[in-house]
Amino acid sequence: MRNVTDGGRIPVKGKTKITIDYARCGDGVGVDPRACAACLRACDPAVFLLHETIGAIEDNPYDPQKWRVTPLWIDLCTRCMKCVDVCPEKAVSVAW
Amino acid sequence: MCDLCMKHGAGGKWYLNAEHYSQAIAEKYNLRDFLMEQYKNFEQISVRKVHGFNAVGMGYKLKMPIIGRIVKYAAEKMLHSTRPPKNPFRAEGHIGQIVPLEDAVAILRTCAAEPIIEKNCMCRYMSRGVKEACCINFGVMSEIVDKLPRFIPEKDKFFLTRQQAIDRFTEHNRKGYIGSIWFGPFPYINNLCSCASPECAGIRPRVDYGITSIYKAEYIVDFDPDKCTGCGVCVARCQFKAIGCDHALKRITVDYEACFGCGVCRHACKQKALFLKPRDEFPGYEERY
Repeated sequence: MRNVTDGGRIPVKGKTKITIDYARCGDGVGVDPRACAACLRACDPAVFLLHETIGAIEDNPYDPQKWRVTPLWIDLCTRCMKCVDVCPEKAVSVAW
Repeated sequence: MCDLCMKHGAGGKWYLNAEHYSQAIAEKYNLRDFLMEQYKNFEQISVRKVHGFNAVGMGYKLKMPIIGRIVKYAAEKMLHSTRPPKNPFRAEGHIGQIVPLEDAVAILRTCAAEPIIEKNCMCRYMSRGVKEACCINFGVMSEIVDKLPRFIPEKDKFFLTRQQAIDRFTEHNRKGYIGSIWFGPFPYINNLCSCASPECAGIRPRVDYGITSIYKAEYIVDFDPDKCTGCGVCVARCQFKAIGCDHALKRITVDYEACFGCGVCRHACKQKALFLKPRDEFPGYEERY
């Protein structure tokens, strides 16, 4: 049977850890991730997710203003480091 | 005929059964409030925890010996759920199928409930930060999106007539976007999307993790070896890596198992060598959706 999970690729060894420093990106500090979105555009396998901060209190729930970036599909990361290079606030770090 | 057609198609394809588009179903399940609650914070759905699990690092979770199987089973059960939707923070009963251009036009012409709108694709926004108007919604969804400013395209027309919707969908499809139709939630059909692979949150679980979040189309692509010159233009169009190019034979090769039957490769072919054939005509692929 075809291995759908790996798609025929040899998986990278170990777990990738992508951390985003929320003191520098999102929720009113540093740059607004919606305006920047540099990591989202740089990532070839589209690992990152742009979403409204969970539990944030919004003035208008229909038009949320507090957004942050979460590395979501971390296991698809190819460790190319484009997101680290491209981040203007140096908020992204990749380790394994 | 896929699983969904057998159960909900009333003798035909499930997405051509007009009952699923009716206002009566939306009112029966009170979908106006449910969808409003869901789409208010739609982007959070993958990071919110359900029974202690969210989709962060999905591949690692699926590789865990026993927990992986449980996660996969639970995810599929949730997506294929046919019970009345309860929790708007889960993708309950949100199952779709790839549709080629002809079927999408048939949906828009005969089934889709008024009003029809075109909104910004939420998948592209949450995974790329880009606003691109290409999702067509019907019925109750139109009223909901009307209240959410981030989904409303700025310059483009928001409300569409049937013919405009067909034209817009055709335009996206010819560009290379895959047509897909979605239950959202079961049994109400309200989305006709133009998806692109890795951005689409519905195709990703299927191609990267093997979770059946979307069914393959009722068709498989095939080609006429006499007409094919092996130029390889269609290879770049395929988002599922189903088409390869054999330079020695001067023709393409098709992986029927990988083909999702979206038919966007046909628009690229100058020789008109590619065509869609019903899945039933391929021995061994009848039941593999």
